[in-house]
Amino acid sequence: MNPVLEANGLTKRFDRVTALENISFKVSGPTIVGLLGKNGCGKTTLIRQLMGLHLPSEGSVSTLGRPGAELGHDELASIGYVPQEIRLLDWMTVGQHIHYVANFYPRWDGEREQRLLDELEIDTEALVGTLSSGNLQKLAIVLAVCHHPQLLVLDEPVSDLDPIVRRKLLELLLELMRDDAATIVVSSHVLRDVEKVVDRVICLDRGRLVTDAALDELKELYAEWLVVSDNGRLPEEFSESFLIAQQGNGREARLLVKDASTELASFSSTHSVSVSVRPLNLEEIFPVLIGEQL
Amino acid sequence: MILVVDPHSGIPVYRQIVEQIRFHVASGVLKPGEEIPSTRALSASLGVNPMTISKAFVLLEEAKILDRRPGLPHVVRTQRGRKALATKQQQLEQALRPVVTKARQLDLDTDTTLQIFRNLLEDNTR
Repeated sequence: MNPVLEANGLTKRFDRVTALENISFKVSGPTIVGLLGKNGCGKTTLIRQLMGLHLPSEGSVSTLGRPGAELGHDELASIGYVPQEIRLLDWMTVGQHIHYVANFYPRWDGEREQRLLDELEIDTEALVGTLSSGNLQKLAIVLAVCHHPQLLVLDEPVSDLDPIVRRKLLELLLELMRDDAATIVVSSHVLRDVEKVVDRVICLDRGRLVTDAALDELKELYAEWLVVSDNGRLPEEFSESFLIAQQGNGREARLLVKDASTELASFSSTHSVSVSVRPLNLEEIFPVLIGEQL
Repeated sequence: MILVVDPHSGIPVYRQIVEQIRFHVASGVLKPGEEIPSTRALSASLGVNPMTISKAFVLLEEAKILDRRPGLPHVVRTQRGRKALATKQQQLEQALRPVVTKARQLDLDTDTTLQIFRNLLEDNTR
């Protein structure tokens, strides 16, 4: 089966700025991918490449099996996209706007539309131009999912949403994966939200891909060891190769370790120490992925 | 059966589910032959990715805790006496491991530690 998304050596330059550098990955669905990175790391540029809104400077990108620049009716009818900056037709009412968009899609699901309007408490009589940014985001989400997209891409979808709506959105993403076997890409800094639903993490740092892994794998790979000496004193510094960072005061130490679970027993006996292993969540792992630990 | 998962824990959610189902089976909350909710149903009720649930089920099948039946929900496998006891012992061992580390850090000797554990076991006031 063709991957839903694929990038090969993708590089994008704007004048002298390299926004994306030699990015390669493949995504096959159904899955929910979290696209992570600091501000300005290239997330939005990458999404715009996948949606065919920018052409690569080098390398290639394909979406639903076709190059980003050649997406046709069939592909576009299978994509849902919520951009970071939502531009809709201000002079229409919400209801008119939904009707207008629905007409482009033969597979538009009126029932899903109605259910989402109710659940997200969207007022269809309101003028689009008068909506708050949160309500605009909710409308954009409804417009992006009622045609049962195979691929849904959301660029910072939760930034303006209140906690209740954020939770509903996350439930909706899981439902799309279960019922429509959709592939979903969510870019966000709200790692606590992302952590709840994604099964895979792609992380960018300064235009480069630094991590592409299953979320569970990352959680099993990284850990913090709290080390206490059994006989009073710890070495000044530990030199094991699995250490990423360390802090200590002679009697206790905090170690950030990578892929070290099998080393635990020999580490404890070599140094005569007791170790408590503390697993790390995504918020704690994220700085490590972009090289900004502790 | 009540499962409580914490997606913000560093412990992968599939592991949390595996451990809790193992515990429910060992403690008898889940009886042999009992049906486990489907991947879909659990994904919806726990609000976690369906892949996570499938992964937990695969591990529980491998551990011979659950049986897969094509097109039907998983069921709890019948555990024989000795194996059932071993599972219970494993569960307790796992729970006690952090306590052992604590005891070492507090520099308590084995006798004192065992005495504390015995006292707690025999404490009928609670």
